Amino acid sequence: MRAASTTTTTSTSTSSAGAATVAPTEPVTGGLGDSPLRPDGALKVQGRFAFSSDDRVDAMLHGATLRSPHAAARIVRIDIAPALAITGVRAVLTASDVPGTLTYGLIDDDQPVLADGVVRYQGEPVALVAADHPETARRALGSIVVEWEPLPVVADPDDVIAGTARELHPRGNVFRRQDVACGDQELVGEVRVEGTYEIGMQDQAFLGLEAALGIPDPDGAGVELFVATQWLHEDRKQLSACLGLAPERVRLTLSGVGGAFGGREDLSLQVHTALLALHTRRPVRMQYTREESFFGHVHRHPATIWMRHHADRDGTLRRVEARMVFDGGAYASTSHAVLFNAITHAQGPYRCLNATVEGWAVRTNNPPCGAMRGFGVVQACFAHESQMDRLAEACGLDPVEVRLRNAMVTGDRLITGQVVDSVAPVERCIRETVALPMPPDGPGGDAADPRLLPGGVGLTTDAAHVRRGVGFGVSIKNLMYSEGFDDYSTARCRLADGVATLKFATAEVGQGFVTLAQQIARTRLGVSDVVLEPIDTSIDSSGSTSASRQTWMSGGAVDAACRAVRSRLLDAVAQRHSIEVEALEIVGTDVVSADGSLRVPVTEASAGLVIDESAHYRHRPTVEPDAQGQGDSHVAFAFVAHRAVVDVDPELGLVRVVQIATAQDVGVALNPLSVRGQIEGGIAQGLGLAVMEEIVVRDGIIRNPSFTDYLLPTALDAPEVVVSLVEEYEPLAARGQGSRRAAVHIGNTGDRCRDPQRDRAPDRPYAGATPGHLRMTTGPRLHLWEVVVDCAEPAVLAAFYAGLCGCEPHRFDDEWYWIEPASRGGGVADAGGPRIAFQRVPEPKVGKVRLHLDLGTDDLEGAVRRAVSLGAGRLGDPVTDAAGSFVVLADPEGHEFCVVTE
Amino acid sequence: MIQNPFDYVRATTLSEALAALAEFRREAKLLAGGHSLLPMMKLGLAEPSVVVDIRHLRDLDYIDDAADHVAVGALTAHRTVETSPLVQTSVPLLAHVAAHVGDEQVRARGTVGGAIAHGDGASDLCAAALALRATVVVEGPPGRRQIAIDDFFVGYLETALGPDEMIVELRVPKVPGAAWSFQKYRRRHLDWAIVGCAAVRDPDRGLGVGLVNMGSRPTRAVEVETADRRGADITEASDLVAAGCEPPSDLHASAEYRVELARVLVNRALDACRVA
Repeated sequence: MRAASTTTTTSTSTSSAGAATVAPTEPVTGGLGDSPLRPDGALKVQGRFAFSSDDRVDAMLHGATLRSPHAAARIVRIDIAPALAITGVRAVLTASDVPGTLTYGLIDDDQPVLADGVVRYQGEPVALVAADHPETARRALGSIVVEWEPLPVVADPDDVIAGTARELHPRGNVFRRQDVACGDQELVGEVRVEGTYEIGMQDQAFLGLEAALGIPDPDGAGVELFVATQWLHEDRKQLSACLGLAPERVRLTLSGVGGAFGGREDLSLQVHTALLALHTRRPVRMQYTREESFFGHVHRHPATIWMRHHADRDGTLRRVEARMVFDGGAYASTSHAVLFNAITHAQGPYRCLNATVEGWAVRTNNPPCGAMRGFGVVQACFAHESQMDRLAEACGLDPVEVRLRNAMVTGDRLITGQVVDSVAPVERCIRETVALPMPPDGPGGDAADPRLLPGGVGLTTDAAHVRRGVGFGVSIKNLMYSEGFDDYSTARCRLADGVATLKFATAEVGQGFVTLAQQIARTRLGVSDVVLEPIDTSIDSSGSTSASRQTWMSGGAVDAACRAVRSRLLDAVAQRHSIEVEALEIVGTDVVSADGSLRVPVTEASAGLVIDESAHYRHRPTVEPDAQGQGDSHVAFAFVAHRAVVDVDPELGLVRVVQIATAQDVGVALNPLSVRGQIEGGIAQGLGLAVMEEIVVRDGIIRNPSFTDYLLPTALDAPEVVVSLVEEYEPLAARGQGSRRAAVHIGNTGDRCRDPQRDRAPDRPYAGATPGHLRMTTGPRLHLWEVVVDCAEPAVLAAFYAGLCGCEPHRFDDEWYWIEPASRGGGVADAGGPRIAFQRVPEPKVGKVRLHLDLGTDDLEGAVRRAVSLGAGRLGDPVTDAAGSFVVLADPEGHEFCVVTE
Repeated sequence: MIQNPFDYVRATTLSEALAALAEFRREAKLLAGGHSLLPMMKLGLAEPSVVVDIRHLRDLDYIDDAADHVAVGALTAHRTVETSPLVQTSVPLLAHVAAHVGDEQVRARGTVGGAIAHGDGASDLCAAALALRATVVVEGPPGRRQIAIDDFFVGYLETALGPDEMIVELRVPKVPGAAWSFQKYRRRHLDWAIVGCAAVRDPDRGLGVGLVNMGSRPTRAVEVETADRRGADITEASDLVAAGCEPPSDLHASAEYRVELARVLVNRALDACRVA
C-alpha cells in the first residue's frame, strides 16, 4: 500500500501537473525506472572493452616494483648499480628519488611511496625499475642488492593493545580508539548471551589487475596518468603532493576499471608510474601480476569482536556491549572510518537504548587494510546477527521473531543518539524475505544434477548424507561519508540540437553510473541521445565511487545540471512562443504547454541552441562524534534482510549455499536490472567471505597470494538468488533536487551456516559437527501488515487516533501518517496487531464504512469520553452482546469506529 | 613466469625421444600435455635445460582391448579415456576418474602417461591406477619392461622410471562387473581434491583402495584392504585408513582433518562397493 503511494509521489516529481492533461506522444525510452542496456555492456561481453591493462602507447617503458620479502625489517643497504648496468634499463628509483612528500594516505599520510630505511609489511615497495621490456624490468629487480636486518614482527593486535608491541611507526601503533556509549551503562538484562567472533581478511579480488599508463609533459613539469581508480581527484591530491607538483600539472583520466570493491580507493601504482615517467621523460606502463596484486592493495580488515546482549525474557533487546578490535595492518588507509562504521552499527538494525562499545583499530606488520564493500559493517553484522541467533535460542524464540520484535523503525535512535529519520523498513524487509519462495527441490537438490550437491561434481556426497538448514541475517548500513566530511559531486550538462552531453569525474567501476547518468538526462530533457565525455580531472570532483554514494551524489549533480538546462530550454521556448514559462514542461520527448496548445519536440526546440550548465550536489552536513561516539555523524541508512538455504554434509563439513532470498531497502530502483546486478554481486562476495575466501597471514607473511589457494567462488558455487526490492520513497534524497535514491548494495551480510562452536568467517570445513541449530524450512506466510484509512487530512486523523490510544503519530510525509503497536516501536498499547496508517485521497467518504476499527478498552465510558473530547461524534448508546460491550463513534472525518470491552 | 632458459627438442618418433633422453638424461624433461610440467617450471620445482616435446608421437595415442586388460597408450588424453566405450564398459572406474580431472580443456590436453609419470600424491588417476592394480609399461635403451603400479611411485614426485626411460602404456585389468566408487572432497568446483578415494571390489581380485592427497605420493590404503580381506566390517576397515598414510598439512586442511575426511570417504566408498 505504501509503495503505491510512493509511486504517486515520485511520478509527480518526474512529470508534475501537466502530465494529467497532456499525454506524451513519444515516451522517453531508457529513462528513470527503465533498465536500458549499459553503454559499456556489449563491449565487455564481446571482450572489446579497453581495461586499464589494455592502455599502451608507442615507445613506452615498462615499470616494475621491488617489494620487501619481510614483514618487518631495516634496510641496511641498497645497491642499484647492478640493475642500472643491465642493457635496456632506463631508471632505478628509491626513496631518495621522491621529489615531494615521502608519504601518502587517504586519511593519514603515513605510508611511504618507497620504503625509507624500514619496511613494515611483506610486499612494501622498496625500489622501482623502468626498462624497455617487462622481462628486462623484472630481471633488473632481481639484480638489485638489498641488505636486510629483519625486525621482530608484530602480528597480533592484542600485543598492540596490551602495549607490549614495539613502536612500529613514528605516528604510533593505534589508528583509532573510539567508544560508543549511550543510556544505562550498568543495565543487566534478564537474558544475557555473549560470544567472540572472528572475521578473516578478505581480498577484493577484482579481475582487472592494477595497471596505469603515465605520460610526461614534454617540458617534464607535469604528467598525465591513465589509471583504474575509484576517485580521480583524491588520487590527484595525493599524487601531486608526492611528485612536488601543483595539482593542475597532474591530470588523470579514468581507464577501464575491472572491478574495485574498495581496493582502488587507496593509491597503488599511481605515484610509481608517474615518478618513472617524469624521471625518464618517457611514457611508462605498469601492471601488477595476480600475486603482486595481493600485496598491491588494501584488504578487508580482519576483526575480533566480543559482544554481550542483554534482553528481557520476551527477547526485547535492552543493552549491547561490544569490544571490537580491527587489525589495520602496517598503514592507516581508512582504518579510522572503517572502525567508526563498525562500532556505530554494533546493535544492528534493532532498537536498543543502551550500549557500551569499545573500538580499536591498530597497526601491525600485517598487510594494510582499508576499504572493502560493506566497510566495517560486514564485520559488525556477522557478530550482531550471530548474537541474535543466540538470543532467539536463549529466549525460546524463532530467529525471525526475535528480529521482528526488535526491528528498528523510522524515528528510532541509533546507539550514537542519531535519530533514523529516513525510511527504515526493517520489518518489511524481514517479512518480504520470509515470504519469498523456497528452493523447489529438497535437500541435495535435483538428484540428477550432482552440481547441486555440496562438493559438486566430485560426487563426494549424496542426498542421503545432506541436511538442509535455513539461516537469517538482517543488516543496517550507513550511506555516504560520515563524521563531518564535506562531501560533494559535480556534473555538467550541455544540450545542443537534441543531443545531451554529460561530463563528470565519477569513476565508473562497473556499478553502472554511466547508464544511470544517461537515464537521468533522458527523463529530465526528453532526449534519446546522451553522450558521455571522458571521465577525468578536467572538471571538479565527483567524490569517491564508494560508500554507496554515487547514485545519490553524482546522480544528484547530473540531475541538477539537467534541470538547469531544462529550465533554460523552457525559457527559450516560452520566449519564442510568447507563453508563460510556468505553463511549459517536458512530457516524453516534447516540450508541451499545460493546455495542450503547444507541442514542440525537444530536438526541434533545442535546434540551434547550446545550453550548458554545471551543478554541485551536497548531502546534508554531519558532525564528528564526541568522546562517547554520540552525534549525528551519518547521512542516511539502508536495510536488508537475507535468508540463506544451505545444504550441509555434516560428516564432512561440506557446504553448498543453495539459495539466498533477500528483500532490500533500495529507495526507488532507478534501474531495476542494475540494482539486481549489484545485489547478486554483493551476495556472491558475501558468500565468498562466509564460506571460502580468506587471505591467510602467518607472522605477517601472506600464505596464499594466488587464485589457486585463495578460494574465490566460481559460477558453480553461486547460489540461486531471489530478490524483492523494497521501494520506499526516500525524503532526504528528494530534498531540493528531487533525485531518487537507488540501491547500491549493502555489503555482505555474511549469510552463513555455521557450527555454534566456531564463530568465524570464513567458516573452515570441519568434521563431525552437527548443524542442529539450523531451522528446518517453513512455507510462505501472509499476515495482516497494516490497515490504511483513506481520508482528507491524514495529520488530523492520525493525531486523533494517536491521542485516543495514548501514543505519538508517525509522519512519513504530508500524505501519509501512521500509528503502530508498541511491539513494533509505536505507542499503541497492545501486544501486536497491524499498524494503522492514514493516507490522503482526493475522493470524499461516501456512506457507511465497510471496514471499521474496534479499539479495545477496559473502561468503556472513559474511552468514549476521551474520544469525544478529541473530536469524535457519539453515534449511539452502549450495546452489550455475547462478546462484550461497545459504543459506535465517528472520527473527525466521519469514519465509524467502535470502542469495545475486551 | 618460467625463470630458467631451456632448449627445445621435438621428437617425432619414440626412438628420437628415447635418444634425446639418453643424451640429456636428468637434464631433460618430456613435454606431453604440459599440465604438470609447465606449472612445475613456473614454480621453479623443475628446471630442465632441455624440454623434449613428445606430443607428436601419435603412435602412443590409443586404447586397445587386450584380452584381460585395457591398454592405454601413454599419450592418450584423459578426455579420450573418459569417452571410450571400451573403458566405460570394461573399467568404468577409470572412465569416471578421467572425467574428474580438471575441466574439459585440461582433459583434452593432459595425458595418462604424463599424469602417471608425474606421480603426484594429489592425482586422481594415480589413486585409481592403484585401486585397479594397473601395470606401467616403460621403454628405455635396453627395451621394454613392466612395473607393477605398487612399485612405481617411490617418493615425492619420484617414480621408478629411469632417467633414460619413458612410459609407453598403462595396462589396466578389466573389471566389468566390479563394484566401484570414487570420492573427491574439495571446497570449490574444479579444484584438486583435498582428499580423494578410489575403490573397486572385484570378485576375483578383492578390494582395491587408492587414496588421493594422503601422502607425499599416491597411496594405497593397505590396512583397509587387509582388514576387508579378513572380513572386517566397513566401519572397522575404514577406521584403519590412517595407517601407512602421511597426509600433508596445508592451508586447506590439516593432516588430522585429512585423516578424518579419508575415514568418512573410505567408509562411503566401501558402502557403495558393497552393493554391486
